[in-house]
Amino acid sequence: MQAGVITGAGFLGNDRRNLIDILDADFRTVASLGLTHNKIAETMEKFRKHAESGLGEFISIAPHFEARIDAVRGKLPCPFEDRGLISKTSIMVKNLFLKKEIIYTDMHIHLINIHGFYQGKRSLFRLDPEIIAEILEIIPG
Amino acid sequence: MNAVFLHITIFTALACGLALFMIIADFFIGDYGQAVITVNNSKKLEVEAGSTLLSVLKGQKIFIPSACGGRGSCGLCKVKIISGAGDYLATELPWISADEKKSGIRLSCQVKVRRNLEIEIPESLFNIHEYRARVESIRNLTYDIKEIKISLPEEEQINFKAGQFMQIETPVYELTAQPVYRAYSIASSPGQKNSVEFEIRLVPGGICTTYIHKHLKIGDTVTLNGPYGDFFVRPGQKKIIFIAGGSGMAPIKSMLADMVLQKNTRQAVYFFGARTQKDLFLTDEIRTYENRLAFRFIPALSSPEPGWKGESGLITEVVDRYIQNGPEYEAYLCGSPGMINACVSVLVKKGVSEKEIYFDKFG
Repeated sequence: MQAGVITGAGFLGNDRRNLIDILDADFRTVASLGLTHNKIAETMEKFRKHAESGLGEFISIAPHFEARIDAVRGKLPCPFEDRGLISKTSIMVKNLFLKKEIIYTDMHIHLINIHGFYQGKRSLFRLDPEIIAEILEIIPG
Repeated sequence: MNAVFLHITIFTALACGLALFMIIADFFIGDYGQAVITVNNSKKLEVEAGSTLLSVLKGQKIFIPSACGGRGSCGLCKVKIISGAGDYLATELPWISADEKKSGIRLSCQVKVRRNLEIEIPESLFNIHEYRARVESIRNLTYDIKEIKISLPEEEQINFKAGQFMQIETPVYELTAQPVYRAYSIASSPGQKNSVEFEIRLVPGGICTTYIHKHLKIGDTVTLNGPYGDFFVRPGQKKIIFIAGGSGMAPIKSMLADMVLQKNTRQAVYFFGARTQKDLFLTDEIRTYENRLAFRFIPALSSPEPGWKGESGLITEVVDRYIQNGPEYEAYLCGSPGMINACVSVLVKKGVSEKEIYFDKFG
C-alpha cells in the first residue's frame, strides 16, 4: 500500500486513517448513493468493454459518452496480495453532457470490485465513489 | 489473564527488538565482502556484495530491462541464475511461472548478491548502454503526441535494430518522489547513430508521459538506456503488413527508414488507424516511402470528418478489405493490447500464419 512498494505514489496518499476505516467510510458513501461496489465496478467494466472496441481511439457510447482505452508496458500486483498481475491499462470516459471526464485503470476496477477500495484521501489515483457514480451516471437499482 | 497478556507483550517486544537489531546491524555492519558473478559461463565479474543483482550488474555496465526502477513491480528484469541465489522471495513469485521456476529464472531486482553467483543472460544485453543525453528538439505531432529528439554525447553512438525500445528516466518531480523509468519505442532510423527520436503520447495522469509533455524542455539532460526488445523485421522474402495506431507509429517509422537504408525490395503495406484527421500525423513523411520502397501507406479513420478521401472504418475492417492471399504475408503490429488482439484475429482469418505475426503489445 505504501509509496514505492508497488507504485511510486502508493495507494494511501496522506490518509492517516486505518485501512479498515478508509474501507468503511467508502462503503457508507456507496450505500448512501444506493449503490454497491459491484454495481460501480460492473459499470466501469462495461465502459471498458465499449472502449476496447475503439482499438486505442475514442469511441462514442450512447447517449453522450466517449471512451478510450490506453495501455503502457508492465503489470502490477494487487496490494491486497491477490494472485496474478493486473495490466497497466487505463480507460478515459468523457461525459459530454456534464462536460466531465474520469480516468480509471484495470487496477481500480479490481480494487473496487473485490476489495471495495477506492484508495486513500489525496492518493494520486483515488477515485471518489460519488464522482464515479456522477460521471458514469450510475443509478441505484 | 494479566500474566498471559504480560507474556505476549514481552515476547512481542523481544521479537521486535531482535528484528530492529538485525536491521540496524545489516545497515551498519553488514559487509558481505566481495563476490564473483560468472556470466554465461565465461565472463567473471568481481563485485561488492550486498546489493541487488540488478544494481550490481548496472554498476558493471550490464543493463537488465526494468521499467519500475527495481521495485519488483514490472517483472521485466528476469535472469537465469544457475547457482548462488538462495530461495525465492514472496515478491518474486507473482511474476515467475512454474516452468521459469524450474529453470531458475529470478527477478534480478529482488535477488541480493551475498555470495558467488552463476547467471545466464542473453548476449544482446551486452549491447545495452546508459546515456546521459540532451533534448535536441520537441515537436507536437498531434494534440497529445510529441516527438522528442535526443542527442547523445559526441563521443557516443547507439546501435539498435529498427523496432526496439529504450527506457527513459523521469526524475523526481511533483508526481513522483523517486526516479521512474518507462519504455518507449525508438522512432528514428538505425542509421542515425548519434541521436534517437521518440513519439510519446500523453497518458492522462501518467507519471512519465506527463513529465515529458508538461515539463521536459529543449536543452534538458535526460538519462536513458537501451536498446531492448525483439520486435524487428525478420529476414525473408514474404510481403510485409505493418499495422499501428497512435504512438505505435514510432517503431514502424523506424523499420521503414531502415528498409530504405538496407535497400530492401520486399513489398510492404502499412495500415495506420486513427479516429479523425486531427489524430493523423507524419502522413506526408510516411508517403515519401511510397517512392523509395515497394510500399503503400493506408491511413484509415474510424470517425472521419466530411471531406476525408481516404479509407474509413476501424483498422481491422480496412485490413479485412485489403488483404487477400494471407499466406504470402508476414505482419508487424504495434499498439494497445485490444488493437493487437483484434488485428491478429483478422490476419489469421485472412490466412496469415500466427507464427509470422510479430507485435509490440503495450502491456
